[in-house]
Amino acid sequence: MSTASLAGRWAGGRQFRPVVLNVVSIVAFLVVWHFASALVNSPFFPPPYKIVQAFVNLAQHGDTMGNSLWAHCWASLYRVLVGFAAGVVLGVPLGLLMGLMPGFYAATRSIVEPFRFIPPIAWIPLAIIFFSGLPRFAFLIFIGSFFPVFTSTLVGVSRVEQIHRKVAVVYGASRFYVLTHIVLPTVLPDIMGGMRVALGAAWLTIVAAELSGGTSIGLGRMMVNYAELLQISEIVVGMVLIGALGFAMNEILLSIERRLFRWRWQVTL
Amino acid sequence: MRAEITHRYGDLLVHDGLRLAIRENEFLCICGPSGCGKTTLLDIFAGIVKPSAGEVLIDGEQADPKRHNISFVFQEASTLPWLDVRANIGTGLRIKKRPKAEIGRKVDDIIGVVGLRGFESYYPHQLSGGMKQRVSIARAFATDADLVLMDEPFVSLDQPTREKMQREVLSIWEHRRRTIVFVTHNLEEAVFLGDRVIMLSTKPARIVADIPVDLPRPRNPVSADFTALRARCANLLQEMHADDASQESASKHEA
Ligand SMILES: Nc1ncnc2c1ncn2[C@@H]1O[C@H](COP(=O)(O)OP(=O)(O)OP(=O)(O)O)[C@@H](O)[C@H]1O
Ligand SMILES: [Mg+2]
Repeated sequence: MSTASLAGRWAGGRQFRPVVLNVVSIVAFLVVWHFASALVNSPFFPPPYKIVQAFVNLAQHGDTMGNSLWAHCWASLYRVLVGFAAGVVLGVPLGLLMGLMPGFYAATRSIVEPFRFIPPIAWIPLAIIFFSGLPRFAFLIFIGSFFPVFTSTLVGVSRVEQIHRKVAVVYGASRFYVLTHIVLPTVLPDIMGGMRVALGAAWLTIVAAELSGGTSIGLGRMMVNYAELLQISEIVVGMVLIGALGFAMNEILLSIERRLFRWRWQVTL
Repeated sequence: MRAEITHRYGDLLVHDGLRLAIRENEFLCICGPSGCGKTTLLDIFAGIVKPSAGEVLIDGEQADPKRHNISFVFQEASTLPWLDVRANIGTGLRIKKRPKAEIGRKVDDIIGVVGLRGFESYYPHQLSGGMKQRVSIARAFATDADLVLMDEPFVSLDQPTREKMQREVLSIWEHRRRTIVFVTHNLEEAVFLGDRVIMLSTKPARIVADIPVDLPRPRNPVSADFTALRARCANLLQEMHADDASQESASKHEA
C-alpha cells in the first residue's frame, strides 16, 4: 500500500471511503481464495475458514508442544523490538556523525559500504557460533535494521540546506544547537523512512533466524514445527500473524510520522 | 564597525582590500551589480563567513555572532519548513535563550507589524513567497539586534506592501536606533531609507561612490531634492556601466 493512500485513510473526514474499499478488497481476496481452494480441492491448499479454525485452535490450546500462540508472537515481537531498537540507537548517531564529517565517511567508506551488501541471513552461521538465545536473534535483527537506518540518516544529512544553518549561526547558535534544531529536523523524515524499511528487514530476519533453530519458541519456529507435520493451515496462521504484526508496527510508525511531520504531510494530503 | 576585507572563493577574487567604516546606528544602503559580492560582504560582516584576509571589527572586536547581537534578512527563502510562523519568528530569541514570556510578547508584537496576524500557526509551505519573506523580516527584528543585515529583503513584495515594510523598518529603527546595512538594487529605495548610499563596482568590488543622504525624514520621494539625489545615483551607475563596457571593448581590441 502506498503512503499516499495510507495518508488518505487517515485524513479526518475522508477516512470512511478507503476503509470501506479495504474491507471490500479483503473480502474479495478471501472469496477468490475460497473458490480457488475448492477448485483445487487438495489438503495442501486449505480454504480460509480452515485457517480461522487453526487459529482458534492454536489460540485456545497452544501448539503440539504446549506453547501458547501468544508466547510465539511475543517471543518474535520481543526479539524484533530489541534488535530493531539497537539498530536505530546505533544507526542514527553513526549516520549523523558520518554525514556531518564527510572526511570520516570517505576514509571508512570501503569498510562500511561492503557490509551493507552482506545480508543479515549471511550472518546466521556466525551468530549461531557466537551467540545463543535472545542475543543471537537481537544481533541478527540489529544487522538487518542498522543499515537502512544508517544509510537513510547519512543521505538525509546531505539534504540540510546551508541557508538553514546560516539562520541558526547568525543568531549565535552553537554547533550542538545546529545539530539538534537544524540537522535533526531535516533528517528526521529520512530517519523515519529508514526505520520503516528496517522494520521490514527485521521481520524478514527474525523468521529466517528462527527457522535456523536454536529456539523452541517464536512464530518462525512454530511454522517449522508444523511444516514437519505437513499442517499447512497452522503455517499460514504464522504467516498471517507476521504480516499483521509487521503491518501494525508500520502503522504505528506512520502515525508517529504524521504527528511529527505535520509541516510535511499536509503537502501530500 | 570597520572592515577591511579581501575575499576569494577559490580563484575568484570577490573583494580586494575593500575598506568600509559604518557608524553606530547608521542606516547604510549598498547598491551594486549582480554578482559583485554584496551577499558575501554581509556574510562576512555577520561573521558567518571568514574573509580570506582582513577583518571586521565591531566596537573594536572581531565580528562574532555569539558575542554580537546580529540579525540577518537573507536574500533567499530562509524560513525553517518544520516550524510554524510563530516558531520561525521566535528562532533568534530562542537561540539567545530569552525567557518564554518575553519571546511570546515580542513575537506577538512583530507579527502585527509585518501583517501576519491570523497566520501564526501556518507552516511555510502554506504561505506565499512574500509572506515567507515577511516571516524572515519579523525574525530579524524580533531579537532587537544591534546590527541588522538586510539582503534585498523586499524584492518579493508588491509595491504597497513594500512601501509599508519600508515605513515599518524606518519606524523600528527610529524607535530604537541600531545599525542597519541594507542591500538593494532599487535606487529609490536606497535614497528613501539610507543615511548613506554606497555603490560597489563589479568584481573585485570597490566602492565607486559614497553618497551621504542628508534629506530630512520622513522623506518625500517626489520632492525635488529627492529626485535630484536619485538621479545623481542613477548617473553614477550608468557611468559605471559605461566604464565597464568600454573596458570590455578595449580588452577585446587588445585580444
Ligand atoms: N559559496 C560560494 N562559493 C563560491 N563562489 C561563491 C560563493 N558564494 C558566492 N560566490 C561567488 O561570489 C560572487 C559574489 O556573490 P554574491 O552572492 O556575494 O553576489 P551579490 O552581489 O550578492 O549578487 P546578487 O545581487 O545577484 O545577489 C559571485 O561571482 C558568486 O559566484
Ligand atoms: Mg546577493
